[in-house]
Amino acid sequence: MQHYKSLLVASTLLVNGLAVSSLTNAATVEFWTAQTQSDRLQTIELLASTFEALNDGVTVKVVAVDENEMATQMAAAVAAGTTPQLIEVNSEIIMSLGEEGIIDTKAHQDVVSSIGKSRFHKGALTTLTSPSDEYYGLPYHGWIQGIWYRKDWFDEKGLAAPNTWENIETAAKALTDKANNQYGILVGTKQDSYTEQVFTQLALSNNANEFDAKGNLIFNSPATLETIKYYKDLAQYNPPGPQNWRARDYYLQGKMAMFFYSTYIMDDLSLAEVAKGSLSSENFAELSGGTFDPELVKNTAFAPIISHKSAASYGTLSGLVALKTKDSADTEATKNFIEFMYDPASYITFLHMAPGGMNPMLKGIAEDPAYLDDSNGVFKLYGADKMKQIVSGFDNIRSFSVVQGKTFPASGAIFAKSVIPRMIYDVTIEGKDPQAALDDAEKEMKTIIAQ
Amino acid sequence: MASSILIKNEARLGLKMVAPAIGIIGLLVIYPILFNIYLSFFDVQLNGTKTFVGLDNYSDLLGNPRYYHSIGVSVIYLLGTVIGTTVLGLAAAVLMNQEFHFRNIARGLILLPYFAPVISVVFGWQFIFDPVNGIYNHVVVDVLHLTDTRENLIGNPDSALFVVILFDIWKHFPIAYLLLLAKLQSVPKDLYEAAAIDGQNAWGRFWHVTLPELKFVIATVVLLRIIWNLNRFEDVYLLAPNVETLPIFTYYQAFAGIVDQGGAAAISVIQLLVLVGLIWLYVRKVLKW
Repeated sequence: MQHYKSLLVASTLLVNGLAVSSLTNAATVEFWTAQTQSDRLQTIELLASTFEALNDGVTVKVVAVDENEMATQMAAAVAAGTTPQLIEVNSEIIMSLGEEGIIDTKAHQDVVSSIGKSRFHKGALTTLTSPSDEYYGLPYHGWIQGIWYRKDWFDEKGLAAPNTWENIETAAKALTDKANNQYGILVGTKQDSYTEQVFTQLALSNNANEFDAKGNLIFNSPATLETIKYYKDLAQYNPPGPQNWRARDYYLQGKMAMFFYSTYIMDDLSLAEVAKGSLSSENFAELSGGTFDPELVKNTAFAPIISHKSAASYGTLSGLVALKTKDSADTEATKNFIEFMYDPASYITFLHMAPGGMNPMLKGIAEDPAYLDDSNGVFKLYGADKMKQIVSGFDNIRSFSVVQGKTFPASGAIFAKSVIPRMIYDVTIEGKDPQAALDDAEKEMKTIIAQ
Repeated sequence: MASSILIKNEARLGLKMVAPAIGIIGLLVIYPILFNIYLSFFDVQLNGTKTFVGLDNYSDLLGNPRYYHSIGVSVIYLLGTVIGTTVLGLAAAVLMNQEFHFRNIARGLILLPYFAPVISVVFGWQFIFDPVNGIYNHVVVDVLHLTDTRENLIGNPDSALFVVILFDIWKHFPIAYLLLLAKLQSVPKDLYEAAAIDGQNAWGRFWHVTLPELKFVIATVVLLRIIWNLNRFEDVYLLAPNVETLPIFTYYQAFAGIVDQGGAAAISVIQLLVLVGLIWLYVRKVLKW
């Protein structure tokens, strides 16, 4: 299968007539990816070997680094003089690295010129643009977050879809039954990035922001305070104790009514479907299909937009970042590798690692028949229209770091220091007063901005 | 005359012999400490640019209430784990010093928690205490009906510190046990016989013979445990990252996100001073070595 894929990628590239530069110099591209799962790594290794086969003398070394460790590992590597040539990581970390003077923005400019600026989704490219109009990274894939919920449970109790603050809280309360180990909702309460992602969507729907368009810190506002209080209300319908995205397993086990999650879950849900199909065959008559509810895909609905004072859709993207190297052959090889990764054949192979979760940042890919034909059949399950609708969201995604088309890299640094997750943890788990927690968070943000 | 040349030569040879050791210690211990002190006065960027900031890193740290909170947590953690492992290790050592069937197997089994990789036992504990699916809640709530609220013992900050202490005692008492048992086996039998003749019962023999004989080993165990646990990171961070002992605080403060090398250096300078001070106090005043 792997060989077949490899051949497919290679031959498609050749048929496309992609100008493959055969470098004579030995060059190395050390590529750090945030995709740590072994099956995804295999796919990336496959792409790397294909690139190696097409480019004599170039070695691509794939290293998996956990997303939460990426900034720390980078710091260690830079200090040790072993900086990788290329990393793939989320936009917040990219923006905070951008301020450290280690990114090769020139290489990014070259790649954008070569691919064509207009082919990128505008909002996506803006997210990674520095205040002085340089590209800190190149958008590669992204996801949209929303609330996934048990439509059958909602219908049974006559509850409205969780797309407004009132609807969410009403449903969370109605569907919590702690005595029977059933929980109404999952919001992040641990000190990690999931918590910030959930909070951001709710805050944006309440018109709360970190910065105004002039770049003033406006985080300590009545709107933010109101969001924190609301968040605390929701957290009482959470599974006990501090939680992060891993608690989505409780949903797959039928013990939770709704949870904030990205489009990545589409893959997991449909895998449940696939598992059910394979396990219920005659060969495995004694197996019941584990704890997977066979109807789960059908009974799950998605509310991507949350409205309160305004409608907010939230998503984030990961980008490729070329780092400054001393060796010009390495830089050249890195640029070629990036362009190779954007070639439809390899790009689609990459995106298919998590159909629905990894959405293309180049226009036209989502309509490509090859893209819509993933091996797990996820897109068939959800339908091509829904996919197109999700991807179009990347023209206008909202986040704390972009206000009216201007980016504020300080927001990335605040993200990297987990200021908001700690604030939420303090309020929801430690029982700290919301205003006091907000004041402390603001103080920390000011310290970070001052640096 | 001749003897003084001999002494000089011997001294020179001695210097040559210790020179490699001094070199290695200088390179791996003294130099990092000095460089660390130097860094603590700077704001360091990832690309190596340093800006002198004077005592700013120290004043930021000492003005942070979370720093003092983490000192408090560390003190409780140290007291709990050091006393716990020493007492449990001592009890296990005394027990295993008795004659009984399968003693050798039992002696080996006791060491298991110490040998098991941290990450695997941490996952084991997390599965046991999982609030929704864990066996602890299943037994307490569904089987024994002791309470009807499920608890997240590892996540809840009120209980997390105690779970972490329990975990450390369970994981590390075997090393205390090992050291104490080795010493116990060398205590002469006639001391116990003499004590018995003097009319001491089992408790008296323990108090007047075993403990004095073990004094220095116990002191060593306590000293090692203090040094290890003041710097203990992986067990606590993996099991309950919300228990902010000093090393965890340092991690969040300096290493989470973009590394603040100057700030981290300042914290570790203070931590080094505290550790050196503690050990000096302990060795000089408590042990009177």
